[in-house]
Amino acid sequence: MLSFLIFLPILSICVVLAMPLRRYYLHKAITLATAGIQLLSSVFLFASYQSGQGVQWAETYEWFSFSAGYLGTLSADYSLGLDGFNISLVLLSGIVLFVGAIAGWLTKENRKGYYSLYLLLCSSIYGCFLAQDFLLFFIFFEFMLLPMYFLIGMWGGPRREYASIKFFLYTLAGSLLILIVMIGLSISAFDPIKTATQNGITEIALLKPAMQQGRISASQAVHTFRFEYLGDASCYLPSGILSNASSFIWKGLSLREWAFWALLIGFLIKLPSFPFHTWLPDAHVEAPTAISVVLAGILLKIGGYGIMKIAYPFFPAEALHFSYWIGLLGVISIVWGALNALAMYDLKKMIAYSSVSHMGFVLLGISSVTVEGLNGAIFQQFSHGILSSLLFILTGVLYDRTHDRHIENYHGLAVKMPIYTAFVMVAFFASFGLPGFSGFIGELLILIGAFSSASSAGPLPYWMSLVSTAGILLGAAYFLWTMQRMFFGKFWINRGITWKEGLYDLQSRELLMVIPLSALTLLLGIMPAWLLQSYSSETIAWIQLIRGL
Amino acid sequence: MKTIILLSVLGIVAMMADIFKYRAVLWYLVLAGIGAAVGLELLEWNQNMPYYGMLLMDNYAVAFSCIILGLLFVWFLVSRDSYTGQEFNDADHYALILFSSVGALLMVSFVDLSLMFLGIEILSIPLYILAGSRKKDLSSNESSLKYFLMGSFTTGILLFGITLVYGATGTFHIERIASAIGNSTMPVYFYTGIALLVVGFGFKVSAVPFHFWTPDVYQGAPTFITAYMSTIVKTAGFAGFYRLFSTSFSNARMPELMEGTTWSILVIVLIVLTIVIGNLIAAYQTNAKRMLAYSGVAQAGYMLMAVLVSQVEDNTKSSLMLYMASYGLATLAAFTVLYYVQKSKGSDEFEAFTSLGKTNPLLAAVLTISMLSLAGIPPTAGFFAKFYLFTSVLKANPSLLWLVGVAIFGSLVSVYYYFKLIISMYGSDEKSTAEVPTNMAYQFILVAIVLIILFLGIQPGLITNLANL
Amino acid sequence: MENLFSNTLDGYLFLASLLFAIGVLGILIRRNIIIIFMCVELMLSAVNLLLTAFSVHHNDPNGQVFVFFIMAVAAAEITIGLAILVMIYRNTGSVSIDSLKKLKW
Repeated sequence: MLSFLIFLPILSICVVLAMPLRRYYLHKAITLATAGIQLLSSVFLFASYQSGQGVQWAETYEWFSFSAGYLGTLSADYSLGLDGFNISLVLLSGIVLFVGAIAGWLTKENRKGYYSLYLLLCSSIYGCFLAQDFLLFFIFFEFMLLPMYFLIGMWGGPRREYASIKFFLYTLAGSLLILIVMIGLSISAFDPIKTATQNGITEIALLKPAMQQGRISASQAVHTFRFEYLGDASCYLPSGILSNASSFIWKGLSLREWAFWALLIGFLIKLPSFPFHTWLPDAHVEAPTAISVVLAGILLKIGGYGIMKIAYPFFPAEALHFSYWIGLLGVISIVWGALNALAMYDLKKMIAYSSVSHMGFVLLGISSVTVEGLNGAIFQQFSHGILSSLLFILTGVLYDRTHDRHIENYHGLAVKMPIYTAFVMVAFFASFGLPGFSGFIGELLILIGAFSSASSAGPLPYWMSLVSTAGILLGAAYFLWTMQRMFFGKFWINRGITWKEGLYDLQSRELLMVIPLSALTLLLGIMPAWLLQSYSSETIAWIQLIRGL
Repeated sequence: MKTIILLSVLGIVAMMADIFKYRAVLWYLVLAGIGAAVGLELLEWNQNMPYYGMLLMDNYAVAFSCIILGLLFVWFLVSRDSYTGQEFNDADHYALILFSSVGALLMVSFVDLSLMFLGIEILSIPLYILAGSRKKDLSSNESSLKYFLMGSFTTGILLFGITLVYGATGTFHIERIASAIGNSTMPVYFYTGIALLVVGFGFKVSAVPFHFWTPDVYQGAPTFITAYMSTIVKTAGFAGFYRLFSTSFSNARMPELMEGTTWSILVIVLIVLTIVIGNLIAAYQTNAKRMLAYSGVAQAGYMLMAVLVSQVEDNTKSSLMLYMASYGLATLAAFTVLYYVQKSKGSDEFEAFTSLGKTNPLLAAVLTISMLSLAGIPPTAGFFAKFYLFTSVLKANPSLLWLVGVAIFGSLVSVYYYFKLIISMYGSDEKSTAEVPTNMAYQFILVAIVLIILFLGIQPGLITNLANL
Repeated sequence: MENLFSNTLDGYLFLASLLFAIGVLGILIRRNIIIIFMCVELMLSAVNLLLTAFSVHHNDPNGQVFVFFIMAVAAAEITIGLAILVMIYRNTGSVSIDSLKKLKW
C-alpha cells in the first residue's frame, strides 16, 4: 500500500511522457487523478491508523548490503511504515498535493515537463515521509530538490534562476551535513536481527550484551540505517564513533554533540529557522503559485519532521542539553519573521516571512520537550500546511489577474471582489491565531508547552514563552494592517498596473481549492482532537525518551 | 592476457582495413572484438592467473579490465558519428585507440613495474597522435604538443621514482617490494622515489598542482579523443596508482612518521588542493568543454581518496570501481551531447546550449542526468559512488572527517557549475531555435547510458558486490 | 667530498640526480621545442645510468633489461614528438613554444 503511494506517480510519469504533446488536457487529467488517488489513499490510511500500535503498514525488504572489511557489513533496507509522526504529514501531503495539482491547472508553457516534474515531486514527498530507513529517507529528501529546482527554475518569475539555485545550494548544503552524520551513525550502530542471523545466534536478547561487551567483534556486525535501531542506544557498538561511549572531544564539544548540530542545521535550513531562512522569500517570490503551495505546505514540514523524528530521538541527551539554544532560535525566528513580514511590500514575501514566524513556533514546541509542546508542534505543522497553502493560493489569485503583488498598489479590493475578500479574511484570521481556527490551537498548545517546560524543570525559561506571545501580537498586526491597506476603504488601484481580464471575483476552479482548505482550518479549530488523537501516545513515548525517564 | 592479445590483434586488423578494403564493416568488427574481449576477460574471473611474474589476472584486474572494456565499447558506440564524416580516417583512429587501450589493460593488471611503465607508454603514445589529429588546427597542434611534453616529462619522473625504489629494494615486482620493505629501515632515496611516483601519477591523473596541462589538452583535442582521455585513460591511471600503492607501499613508513605511511601525507595534500582548486576554477569556466576538463580534475580528488585509504580499508577497491564506472559513463554521455551541440552550433561555450531543452528535450535530459550524476545527486550512480567513498574513508580513519568535510564542500561548489550548464540548457533564447540534428540510433545509445546510470543509482550493489574480492 | 663518495653508489646517485635536475630545469626554462626534447632525453639517460648502477649493485640483471625497455620506448616517443614538431612547424613556421598560446585558462 505504501509503496503504491510512491510508485503510482512514477507510473503516471511514464504515461504522461508517452503521450503526445497536443493531448495536454490528458496530462493534466492524469496528474490530477494521480494526486486524487493519493489523497484518497492518504485519507484511508489516516482513518485506519491507530495511535500507540507501533509502526503500521510496514514494508521492509533488504535493498543492498556491502562488505566493509574489518568493520563488518553495511546493509540498507527499503523500509516504509506509518507512525505517529508521519501520519498527519501523509494526510497533509495528500491534501496539499491535490490542491497544488488544481492550482497548476492553467500552466501554459511546456506542460508535459511541468506535469512530469510535479508527479516526480509527489512521489519523492511521499517517499520522504514514509521511509523508515535513514538512507532511503535521505535519498528522497535530496531527490525532492530536483523537481523543485526545475519547477522554480523553469516556470518561475523573472529572477527564477537566482532563486532556484539559491534554494538548491542552501538545501543541498544542509543535506550534505545530514549525509556525514548518517554515515557516522550507520557505522556506529548495528542491526540486531541481521547480526544475530549472520553469527548464528538464535536469541536476540543474548546478542546485545554480547555486542556491548565486545564478545562479538565489530567485523561481524551488520550495520544499519533503520530508524528504529538508530534511535536505540543499545544498538550502538561501544567502539562506534558516534556511540555514547565515544570520548572524542574537539573544541570543547564531543563528537556526538557536533553530529547533533550538523543534523540539526541540516533540518533548520529546511524548516527554515533564523539565520538559515534567507532562501525562503526568494524561492517563494519566484515560484509559480502551485509550487509555492507545495513548498510552504509540505517541504518546510520536512524540516520539522526531521528534527522530531531524527535529530532529537537519535541524540536524546545532546538534544535536551541544547534545547535552550534551539528554543532561542525558535523565538528569534518567530519575532524576526514577524518583524520582517511587517516591513514587506510584496504580498508573497510577507507570507513567506510569516511562514518563518510560524515555523519558529514548531521549533519552540519541539524544544520545550513537553507533551503539550510536541503535540502543538505537530498540530502546528499540519495547520500551517493548510493555512500557507490557502494564503499562497489567494495570493496567486490576485497575481493571475493583475501580475502585481505590491500591497501598496491596491486599496479597497473588497468592493470589487467580495468573495475573495471573505476568504482572505478567513485565511488571515486563522493565520494569526484567532480562536476557532486551527492556528490558534497549535500556537496555544506550543505556548502552554513552553510555559510548562519552564515550570517542570524543562529546558526553556519563562521569558521565551512571553516573547513568543509578542510574536502572535505582531502576527495580528501585520495581517490586519495588510487587510486594512488592501481590502478596506474606497476602491483604488495604482494606475501603473495593467490587468489582463479585469478584477473579477473567484471562479469555480479557485473556489474548489479555497473552500475545502478554509473548511479544514475551521474544522480543526473546533475539533482539534480529530487530529491530536492520531499521535497522542507516540508523543508521550517521545518525551520519555528525550527526558530519559 | 588473452584479452590483451585479442585487443592488439584487433588493432592490427583495424590498421589493415584500408589495405584490404573492409572499412565499411570495421566498426562492427571492432565492436564484436571488444564484446569477445569482455567474454575472455570474464573467463579469468577467480582464476588468479599469473603470467610469468609480469601480469597477474586477479579479480581486481579482471573487474577493472571489464570496466575499461565496457567504457571502450560505449566509446565506440557513441563516437561513430564523428567518423562517418570525412574528417578523420576511422581505420587509423580505431587502431590507435585499440592500441592505447591495450596499454590501459596492462596498467590494471601489472605486477612488475616494467610492465607498468610499458602500459603507461602504450597508453600515452597513440594519444599524442590522436590529440593532434586535426593537423591544420592550431589548437589541436598545441594540445598535442602539450600532452606530449607533459607525458614524456611525467614518464621521466615516474622512471626516476621506479629506479630509486628499485635501488632500495632490488626488485621490480610489486609484491616483493612490499616484502623487501618489511619492517627494515629504508634509505632516504627510497622515500624520494615514492614521492616521485606520487608526483608522476599526480600528473597522469591530473591532480592539482600537476593539472595545468589538462584543460588545455582537453579543450584542444577533438571532442571524442577528449572523452577517451578523460574516461578510459583516467580509469587506467587510477587503477594503476591504486594497484601499485596499495600493494607495494602500504607499510612504507619513515621511522619518524609512524602515524601513517609517508606518502599518505602527500596524497592528502593532493586531495585537498585538487578538490578545492579544481572545483573553484571549474566554477569560473564559460566553455563547456573546459568546464568538463576541470570537473575531471576535481573528480580526480575524490578518486584519490580511495587511493589514500587503500592501505587500511580493503573495500575501497569497490568504491573506486563504482566511482570510475559512474564517472566514466556520465562523462561519455556529456561529451557526446557536447559533440552534437558543437557540431551544429560551431561553439562549445555555455551559450551554445541555450534552449537545448526546447529544441532537443532528449539530449537535454541526457546531459541533465549525467550532470546530476557527476554532482552526486540521488538517485544517480554518482550519489552512491560518493557515498561509498566517504563511508570507506570514515571507516578507515574517523579522524579524516575533516577531509570528508572538504570533499563535501567541493561537491557543493560542483553543484553550482554543473547546474550552470543545466540552467543554460533550459533558459530560453528566441534566436537559437534550430534543432540539433541527431541520429535515432545514437539517441537510443544515450538513453541506454542514462538508464545504466540511473540503475546503478538504485541498485549500486551490482558493482560493489562484484568487487568483494 | 671524500665522505660523499665513500660509497661508490652515492656517486652514481649524485650524478644521475644532477643530470635529471638539469633535464627538468631545461624543460621548464627553455623555449625551443627541440632543446626541450633533448632535455627529456637527458632525464631518461639519467634514469638509465642510475638503473645500470643499481643493477650492478644488486647483482640483478633485471635493471639492465629495464634500460633496454626505456631506450626502445624513448625512441618511439621521440619519433612521435618530432612528428608533432614538424606538424607545428608547418602551421606556424616556428619551433618556439611561445608560438603556441591559443589555449589558456
